[in-house]
Amino acid sequence: MKKHWWKVLGVLLVLYSFAMGLLTPLKTGILDAQPASVRAGKSVTLLVTGYNSFYTKNPKEIRAWLKMDNERAMAAKNVEVVGDRDLKAIFDLPQFLPVDKKVQDFTLILDSPTDGASVLPSGVFVTQDSIDKTAGEALWQNANISGLHEKAAITFPFRNILGETIRNTYYHVPLWFAMFILFIAATVTSIKYLRKMDPNDDAKAAALTTVGILYGVLGLVTGAIWAKNTWGAYWSFDVKQNMTAVGLLIYCAYFVLRASFEDPEKRARISAVYNIFAFSTLIPLLYVIPKLTDSLHPGAGGNIAFGSQDLDNTMRMVFYPAIIGWTLMGVWMAHLVFRAGRLKRLLLEG
Amino acid sequence: MEIKHLLHKEFTLEWRQKYAISGILLYVLSTVFIVYISFQTVSPQLWNVLFWIIMLFASINAVVKSFVQESGQRQLYYYQLANPVAILLSKMIYNTSLLLLLSVLTFVALGFMAGNPVEQAGRFALALLLGSVGFSITFTFVSAIAAKADNSSTLMAILSFPVVIPILLLLVNLSAHSIGLLQGTMINRDIMMLAAVDLILVALGLVLFPYLWRD
Amino acid sequence: MDRKQPNDSTMFKAVKKALTTFSLFLFPFSFLVAQEDADFMRSMGKMYVVVAVIAAIFIGIVIFLVYLDRKLTKLENQINNHQNG
Repeated sequence: MKKHWWKVLGVLLVLYSFAMGLLTPLKTGILDAQPASVRAGKSVTLLVTGYNSFYTKNPKEIRAWLKMDNERAMAAKNVEVVGDRDLKAIFDLPQFLPVDKKVQDFTLILDSPTDGASVLPSGVFVTQDSIDKTAGEALWQNANISGLHEKAAITFPFRNILGETIRNTYYHVPLWFAMFILFIAATVTSIKYLRKMDPNDDAKAAALTTVGILYGVLGLVTGAIWAKNTWGAYWSFDVKQNMTAVGLLIYCAYFVLRASFEDPEKRARISAVYNIFAFSTLIPLLYVIPKLTDSLHPGAGGNIAFGSQDLDNTMRMVFYPAIIGWTLMGVWMAHLVFRAGRLKRLLLEG
Repeated sequence: MEIKHLLHKEFTLEWRQKYAISGILLYVLSTVFIVYISFQTVSPQLWNVLFWIIMLFASINAVVKSFVQESGQRQLYYYQLANPVAILLSKMIYNTSLLLLLSVLTFVALGFMAGNPVEQAGRFALALLLGSVGFSITFTFVSAIAAKADNSSTLMAILSFPVVIPILLLLVNLSAHSIGLLQGTMINRDIMMLAAVDLILVALGLVLFPYLWRD
Repeated sequence: MDRKQPNDSTMFKAVKKALTTFSLFLFPFSFLVAQEDADFMRSMGKMYVVVAVIAAIFIGIVIFLVYLDRKLTKLENQINNHQNG
């Protein structure tokens, strides 16, 4: 058992990430506010639909704001709770807005002691008939957004397009990281092979690459399923998708190269050289190019990374163990492939 | 010194076997002509992509012979005469100049047939230079790898295309900038990135080549 | 020229194997998603997308196990032949 602790650890970490990914509830969010577009100078009643919300628990203490920018926001005159997931927020909009634009978007913010704060970015668009910035500034009644509540439990952030699929962060993303770690490990064993010329190192590199390709394909497939249902298409020519496809092509070419040599020593040496060379072209490919161009992925090209909204670090508490767990499981799988290959070699020699 | 002699050898060989270089030149011209008759009008965006695709295939054809078409015995003879690293370096330099010539020719031919959308000539010339260097380094090294296998010319295409895609994407970006299709301040980072990739690859090539040629 | 003929067949086999593996991976996921109603996938806060992703990972690992199983079976047969013959 002592020898196998890392396999147990890998399985436990992956299980932990699966359980946490499924059991953690989502933070309370706002699905929708109707009407989404209103005119200035009127009193409007917004019908707000919540997600995972319990508005009836503390109906008196729910507050609502329409936030224009970091300094300016207006408070709701009244909040009427209809049900757990529905409430009405009544705002008195001034005749003029303190902006130079005809149409201004507002972010709807709700706060309740039970659910904590929830946000609908650019949820309400206010149209004004004529622009008068000074009059708007005179009419503006600023409300400070303060005393926001925090939900006590461990939760996922709520993002409108994503919904529950934010849980896939634990299933899709660690596969990528583990794939990359496996490819790095394969390259390191290739370098080791060139230094020591031990055939075991070459077999290890090939086994690690096999599992890396498995993870890469799984990452592409899970990413495609996720993308289809959030961005709208399986393949959106996103830079990271294309790049990983290229990475997989490189490693498939690696196996084609291996297949074209009969002599094991020559195969090991030349495929090690190709592995190192190909990996070095993969570095700018996976990490630098996505930053240069706009990407649909979070954290690139102006999209907000999940991490920035995850203030209490709950996601990280599961995300990093998931990466370690998948990597350990990958090393285990690679070890099995390696052992099968070694048996075959022993059989051929003896 | 050694490199100078080796370069001299490469140029003399090329000059003797004129059919190889003239074949590639003809390839470029006929591809451009096919592009012209099938598209008639070429938008700047299409021009950009077509230019690099023609360049990609022409360079693979031009570089493939540097190791693949030399027989194993002759290579072994060279390695005994000269330092293998110097041989690789001389082939890279030679191929770079060949690809520069090719890219200029492609540019002239495509400009003649389909118009010249380039707005910033200096930046485009930089893209051509960095592109020729990057293509020649990767293709020369991959050709050295592929030459070790039996069916090398098929292997050459399989091995080199995925490896060259990152460089190609950066190049398409850079030349799109020079044509005026893209705006932004990232362009200097693109150029730095390309230069860095070229440098890394040439360094790796020099380090790894000694493991490759020994048999 | 007594050199060995180019081993096209081994290479062809490798390419074919890679392609089949790849299509095997693509099959379950197109089955899972394309066949389902889009509204079903998007119901309950898109929870079924998470289910599909987990199913895809599971299927991928099962396919890997089958691959390893076949590899080991082949090896066992070789060892048996070795001992008998």
